[in-house]
Amino acid sequence: MAETRTIAVDYLARVEGEGSLFIRMRDGQAEEVKLSIFEPPRFFEGFLRGRAASEAHDITSRICGICPIAYMMSACHAVEDALGLVVTERVRKLRRLLYCGEWIESHALHVFMLHAPDFLGCHDVIEMSREHREWVEKGLAIKKAGNALVTCIGGREIHPINVRIGGFYRAPDGAALRAMIPDLERAQRDAEAALHWLASLTFPEVDRDYELVALRHHADYPFCEGRIVSSRGVDISVAEYEQHFAEQHADYSTALQSTHGGGHYLTGPLARLHLNFDRLGDAARAAADAIGYGPPCRNPFRSLLARMIEVIQALDEAQRLIAEYEPPAAVALPTFDGERVGHGATEAPRGMLYHRYRIDPEGTILEARIVPPTSQNQLSIEDDLRAIAPELSRLPLEEATRLAEQAVRNHDPCISCATHFLKLRIEGA
Amino acid sequence: MNIQRTGTVRVIGVGAPLAGDDGVGWAVVDALAARRLPGVELLRVRDPSALVELLEGRVVIVDALLSPEAPGAVRTLGEADLAAISASRFSSHGIGVTEAVALARTLGRAGEVAFVTVGIAEATKGCADLSPPILRAVPRAADAVVAWLERGAPP
Repeated sequence: MAETRTIAVDYLARVEGEGSLFIRMRDGQAEEVKLSIFEPPRFFEGFLRGRAASEAHDITSRICGICPIAYMMSACHAVEDALGLVVTERVRKLRRLLYCGEWIESHALHVFMLHAPDFLGCHDVIEMSREHREWVEKGLAIKKAGNALVTCIGGREIHPINVRIGGFYRAPDGAALRAMIPDLERAQRDAEAALHWLASLTFPEVDRDYELVALRHHADYPFCEGRIVSSRGVDISVAEYEQHFAEQHADYSTALQSTHGGGHYLTGPLARLHLNFDRLGDAARAAADAIGYGPPCRNPFRSLLARMIEVIQALDEAQRLIAEYEPPAAVALPTFDGERVGHGATEAPRGMLYHRYRIDPEGTILEARIVPPTSQNQLSIEDDLRAIAPELSRLPLEEATRLAEQAVRNHDPCISCATHFLKLRIEGA
Repeated sequence: MNIQRTGTVRVIGVGAPLAGDDGVGWAVVDALAARRLPGVELLRVRDPSALVELLEGRVVIVDALLSPEAPGAVRTLGEADLAAISASRFSSHGIGVTEAVALARTLGRAGEVAFVTVGIAEATKGCADLSPPILRAVPRAADAVVAWLERGAPP
């Protein structure tokens, strides 16, 4: 008789926002996999229509909120693209420093508080902190160093207000930045030690044949600039994104799901490291080498290590940028001398975040398209669950459910626009 | 006004911009700012994980509590009460308010922590304003915060 098993998690814990998971398996194979993300369709885009392009970065970062800097950077670059404006080198560096801060805090939160518990067999970070207090303390300190950077440059802890089209309203004080170096240095040492420890944990052996997609820049590890490349030979400008990547709508999830030529793809730390390993700074490269991490790495469970390597990269680069810091001058902005379209893609902690705006001569947004990294990753996350279905069938139901949730958390999904609250229900066959 | 002061006394509103009723924590802190309480630090946080660093001393956390059956209801709770109702969600974050407080407690970083909650029917994201029953609850929630600060340890 065929054996059917169902894993249903109506409310996923330790992810940002509300999502639910449903897997039905028969004879060790997945018959149906649904990662449901409840997001008002085209929510961002409807909200932006009719608003000033000069406020797009502020509005989108308020709506999303989990990664305000990422939204600000993608929006600014898109609007600047429409204006034909290229920011100065000093602004460019300060934006990188700001992004370093967000990567550090976002990745540290995810690694230590949301994901590491899975690898330690702990229900949550509270349980983890009873047995691994030292690492939780270090994780919090690393996160705090990232927060401090964002607050110093962004201007306010709860919502950055200092970013504008073309640069910043106020140049941060060099002395205030330099005062952060001891904490950043200590955080880097802690991150290197943490990477070593995390690498000693047990990782399910999974090798996935993803198409990995990320920005690639001619010199730097990617933040705000570069071309869009993939592990299957895509190499396009950001402006060509929509010609190659499409969105589709599934009936079980109001969020849109992205495809490339109809196929599924993956963005985020695993993709960035795979496609930009040669762009890592010396410290991050040495740390990766020390634990034997290098391309090709397509095991989604090892994204835990990928994020930690990126934390080291960001901490190291932040110290260098602070040492070189020169305050940017204010810049006069050109006007829109006709209807314009602008494209921007930057690397949010979770992956590539794409914005496109069509703007009228008065600077009003006529149309917006925003594609967050989690939408782009959704189908690959479901494929991951199909790939581990045989293992899920073998394990006791409770363990299988935890493994499935861990597999979703591999990609640090962010579902922050969701408005539905559901109750936890687990059903088994 | 007689607010017991033995070190830090702090009120933290948890919320977000454009979060509709989910942002009521911030509205209550704004209301308290207008009352000019002496010696009380007022903070707004968005990410609950930030709470872990902020709980030394005497701290009241103000946040929305999903309770569709009682929108606008104001409750004052201690940490023990919170565990009992943790099936209700405080926030849609990876680390919620209850987890952040429990983590701080486990790490020995929490002083005396209480909660003032405002019941909301749903999180109405994308909206800057509070719905009428929640708006009406804001001064009552502010009153509850002041009462706790004056009273000292919760019953």
